[in-house]
Amino acid sequence: MGAAIRLTDRNFEREVLESDIPVLVDFWASWCPPCKMVEPLVDELAREYAGRIKVGKLHVDRNPQTRDRYRIMGVPTFALFRKGRLLCQRVGAQSKAQLLQMLSEVL
Amino acid sequence: MKLHNADKTCWNCPAIDLAGKVDFRACGQSVESFQKNLPEDSDVLIMAECKRRPELGLFDPMSITFEECPEWIESPYGYMLKDMRVMILGIDGYLGWTLALWLGSLGFQVSGIDNYARRMWLMEQGADTVVPIAMMPERLEVAKQVLGQEINFRRMDISARSQLREFIADVQPEAIVHYAECPSAPFSMIDAEHAIEVQRNNVLGTLGLLFIIRDTVPESALLKLGTMGEYGTPLTGRPIFEGMFPADAVLRWDNREWSLGGELTPRDPVSFYHVSKVQDTFNVYESCKYWWLRSYDIMQGVIYGVHTPQLAADPRLRTRLDIDEWFGTVINRFVAQAIVGIPLTIYGAGEQVRGFIGLRDAMQCMTRLIVSPPEPGQYGVVNQMSGYYSIRELAEKVARVGRREFGLDVKIQRVENPRVEADRHPFEPIFENLPKQFGFEPQVSPEDEIYRMFELLTQPHIRKRIQQMMYHIVPRTWWTGEHRRVKTIELIEPDQEVIGGDGHGAKPSKYTQPSPALTKE
Repeated sequence: MGAAIRLTDRNFEREVLESDIPVLVDFWASWCPPCKMVEPLVDELAREYAGRIKVGKLHVDRNPQTRDRYRIMGVPTFALFRKGRLLCQRVGAQSKAQLLQMLSEVL
Repeated sequence: MKLHNADKTCWNCPAIDLAGKVDFRACGQSVESFQKNLPEDSDVLIMAECKRRPELGLFDPMSITFEECPEWIESPYGYMLKDMRVMILGIDGYLGWTLALWLGSLGFQVSGIDNYARRMWLMEQGADTVVPIAMMPERLEVAKQVLGQEINFRRMDISARSQLREFIADVQPEAIVHYAECPSAPFSMIDAEHAIEVQRNNVLGTLGLLFIIRDTVPESALLKLGTMGEYGTPLTGRPIFEGMFPADAVLRWDNREWSLGGELTPRDPVSFYHVSKVQDTFNVYESCKYWWLRSYDIMQGVIYGVHTPQLAADPRLRTRLDIDEWFGTVINRFVAQAIVGIPLTIYGAGEQVRGFIGLRDAMQCMTRLIVSPPEPGQYGVVNQMSGYYSIRELAEKVARVGRREFGLDVKIQRVENPRVEADRHPFEPIFENLPKQFGFEPQVSPEDEIYRMFELLTQPHIRKRIQQMMYHIVPRTWWTGEHRRVKTIELIEPDQEVIGGDGHGAKPSKYTQPSPALTKE
């Protein structure tokens, strides 16, 4: 199992919006090859930044409420949350350097 | 030790019924109808029913693992769905028949179709399998008598869509193995008719099949045979990834950077047959995307060998073996050539490097993939090979076994290369998915399997059949469109320096004529 936590419509509020530390959310789907491929990178970030940033994955087809709430129209989409607010989001597979650049806002 | 598929859940299982309960966007199915019936305090959003255990009612498909489900039982290749129904398209072929008996012996319920096209394609060229095989009714009867296996066979063309749809709807296969393609590069290069026939059979046959799966068994996994030849041999020397770029592959340009993770890698097919396989790749990939079909694209290396325990159980259970220029694969051809005294034909420099896999290892891989189905919508790719060698190295291996173990005087000849391909090239294939994700461990060494092949092919009745087929061994089909036998460039003593020339001076062998241009030199 990966290091990133499994997010759902049910736990999104608690794990993401009410989190004390910033949260990087990977919106993904099983039919999306780039999502599958970036999975190890996402887990790597979760391990490397444990305690400073929370990293979670949300399957868009299994969790349609959150998907629709944030208008996720393409996967993978990476979204960064802090104190219940969406700071930024990027659509498409990202390299580690790109993800780190995204995280630099909150690190 | 934990089995490789222990943690997979009903989400992957073909016995799941997700229809109408998940938002299959492109299928016209909607999640709404399901959500209306959900209790307000429900903790899950995706629910499903099990076709095998209806007593479970609606449940969260992620909540039961293969390890926990009583329908999944332990086998040497991972947890296996009890009496799993597997349909093999192209069941009369070299791989299809082998897999049918292999799976049958493990307790799978095997069905299959074949229209004997492979037999016809060879017959049309005047060639035939050198290992004699009976027609399907007799093969099925022997499988029943000797192995106690019941195989549900229909003689059918994959292009006969209404018939195939009916058969699939009737059998309700939980996995479909698609071997029903013409697997020959040279055959597709003979002329326009052959190129068109190969692409029609392969591309349109597969395309029709995808629609049938969508409409009848969308939860079934499609295991589609691709080929390592789809990738070609990129002269940049970049690794040949398993279908898609890994996450840490990046494109740098203009001081910017992009992740290539998950993008299909470039293809460089090397014949019109390989082009058909590339087209298949895209058709299957798109179907997974549009309709949530589940598929593994199996990029198989060059296959070789004759042995599995089931094939060896009775001479009448053997699978076909082709050694002609169109359908014979290189190691199989080398062994046959060694037995009848033709110097082993390596094309051009003979330094082309290819991935290889033994027949028994290929069966192991297929079994592991079948019992570990992809997720809905997943297009997975594996490079199915156990090692890679240059053609020259393989010729040396065959020559060594033939000489030492069977007392044969085996020589090697470099012949003109009738193909358009790089004779020397970098080659760095990645083949990690099968060992890492599916627990594949190669069991077959080339030397051992080559030995077994010599054992079988030196039997008098088979040797005689090879001799009858000798005219079809040396290639005549050129990628340029020419039709003439290739000429010997040099004759090589195995494990020794080149004899008879400096690489330009052709030495005629008994079986091929020297090039006039070269002999003038």
